[in-house]
Amino acid sequence: MKSLNKILTGIIGIALSFLAAAVLIKLQGNSPIDAYRALFNYGLASWFSLSSTLNNATPLILTGMAAAIAFSSNVVNLGEPGQLIVGALTAALLGYYLPIPGILGIFVILIISGIVGGLYGGLAGVLKKYYKMDEFITTLMLNFIADYLTLYLATYPFLDEKSYVPATHMIKREFFLPTINGINISFFIAIFMVFVSFFVVTYLKKGYEWRMMGHNYDFSKIGGCKNEENLIWVMFYTGFLSGLAGALLILGGTQHRFIKGIGANYGWDGVMLAIVGGNGVVETSVFAIFFGFLKAGGIGMEFEVSIPSEFTMVLQAIIVLLVVATRSTISYYSDKIKASLKAKRVVKSSD
Amino acid sequence: MRDSFSSATPILLAALGGTFTYYANVFNIAMEGMMLIGAFFGVLGSYLFQSWAMGMLFAVISGAVVALIFSAFALSLKTDEFLTGIGINMLALGGTTYLLRNIFDVKGAFISPRIESLPTWDIPILNQIPILSQILNNHPFIVYVAILLALLLEVIIFHTKFGLRLRATGEDPETTRSLGINPNKMKFTSILLSGILSSMAGTYLSLGYVTLFSENMSNGRGWISLAIIILVKGRPLGILLMSLLFGFFESVTFTLQNFNIPPQITSMLPYVITLVVLFLYSSSKSKEEK
Repeated sequence: MKSLNKILTGIIGIALSFLAAAVLIKLQGNSPIDAYRALFNYGLASWFSLSSTLNNATPLILTGMAAAIAFSSNVVNLGEPGQLIVGALTAALLGYYLPIPGILGIFVILIISGIVGGLYGGLAGVLKKYYKMDEFITTLMLNFIADYLTLYLATYPFLDEKSYVPATHMIKREFFLPTINGINISFFIAIFMVFVSFFVVTYLKKGYEWRMMGHNYDFSKIGGCKNEENLIWVMFYTGFLSGLAGALLILGGTQHRFIKGIGANYGWDGVMLAIVGGNGVVETSVFAIFFGFLKAGGIGMEFEVSIPSEFTMVLQAIIVLLVVATRSTISYYSDKIKASLKAKRVVKSSD
Repeated sequence: MRDSFSSATPILLAALGGTFTYYANVFNIAMEGMMLIGAFFGVLGSYLFQSWAMGMLFAVISGAVVALIFSAFALSLKTDEFLTGIGINMLALGGTTYLLRNIFDVKGAFISPRIESLPTWDIPILNQIPILSQILNNHPFIVYVAILLALLLEVIIFHTKFGLRLRATGEDPETTRSLGINPNKMKFTSILLSGILSSMAGTYLSLGYVTLFSENMSNGRGWISLAIIILVKGRPLGILLMSLLFGFFESVTFTLQNFNIPPQITSMLPYVITLVVLFLYSSSKSKEEK
């Protein structure tokens, strides 16, 4: 019921945003109908566009899930962009230098990159536990530091001299993740992680403690959970997911190397997705696929109607704002109506 | 030293804007986006009319409009403030890049001789004093406005009726309401003021020390401002000092680059400093508690 509600208000919000965006497109002198037709054609209409939607959604599923798990545990992890990019660089370097062959190598790369992302996230958790440093600020600052640090590493020590922009060497061909009918294996890995996370959060004792910590911090403390320790674990796990997202971008993407700007906005998109999905693991993943559709379709809008692809970003922001606004407005007024009905009933019965 | 003041100004202005929302208990993380939008519209206004004043006007109006959007969602529609802020930031980043491509037909950065930069001030008595003059004189006028504003804000927030009401709204909106003050109105005013000041900070970025607009040129300064506000618990004079400290480290960044230290490493400095300051602050506080 609750998730149905979330999805229903989501659909209303999305419909409203498309209307609002249509006005913007019209103001630009383009036809909204043509624009949306292109969006649909490139995002959903054929097998090819469907597969590119799913491929685009892969990192979003992971970063969105990371943010959702953190938020629902009352941990403000805004460090997904940094954790992702650290994981991506690790994967790029391992992919070039790691001597382990084939599938085993891929496995090792993914795990280590995830762990590096996890440690980077865990750092913020440690700073919080031992030094009471607000994780809101630390994760943000660590993002910028990760950005410059990885760029430095890709520009100087690990630069591929043949490339025109700061980039590392291409990883070994044997580590490229293959595609099945156009859908990259990395998508299935992401979906697998959705199941793993759902299991962890729903059935494991640790996951239960995390949720309790988000639900009622003091209660869980009295109940014997080590909240501060759990905070580090949440940071590590969500950092692991983000780092994995970065690694999959390298192994399963199109570049197969670390290039300036590879993280794009995946991290921030993840944060937004988590909020739109109401911090549910599954809901967030559904919205991630929808955002993947927007990204794939945005290219279509650029090709066919010559609306710059940046417009997708604007559209995403509008969608996020309107979806949540719709949800909070509806729940605010339905609560109000419920309350006034109840008041009337009380007045009646006392007569 | 001279560069410290120019680097400090945008952070200072945005942080001062954030002070209003801080005391009104509005979680305003949209400053980054407001800054970026101010930077863009400052350039647009200046370009269209070849006048810095029109740039300023455009920026302030755009800042006010963004503040209106923020209030519409956060106050009227009861959307989570945190999310509204992130949404606004995304809107700003995507929107300015999109407009850059749509209006000027460029990607990355826009430079034009038609853009007029902010005028600098030659202050009468100051220009007589040898060393101080070098450091303090002939800055774009916003630098002086920002410093004066910091002093003024200290007075406004702690010694005026408006300041009292603002703080009361933040502490306990229900009691304030019973005293006949509309807390939503106070919150709206604070968001509006922070929007205007943040957009001015943005204008300083694009028309102050450079005259161009580039994608994502605010580059985390809004976040640093927010970190400063939280660190000094909103005290305007504390903000002034901290901003100057950050300005100093940012200007050190430029100097270090002359010594063959890679720019990526030096660019990391302001963020590392934020962490270090936060670390020192937290550990000194936890010692006090013991």
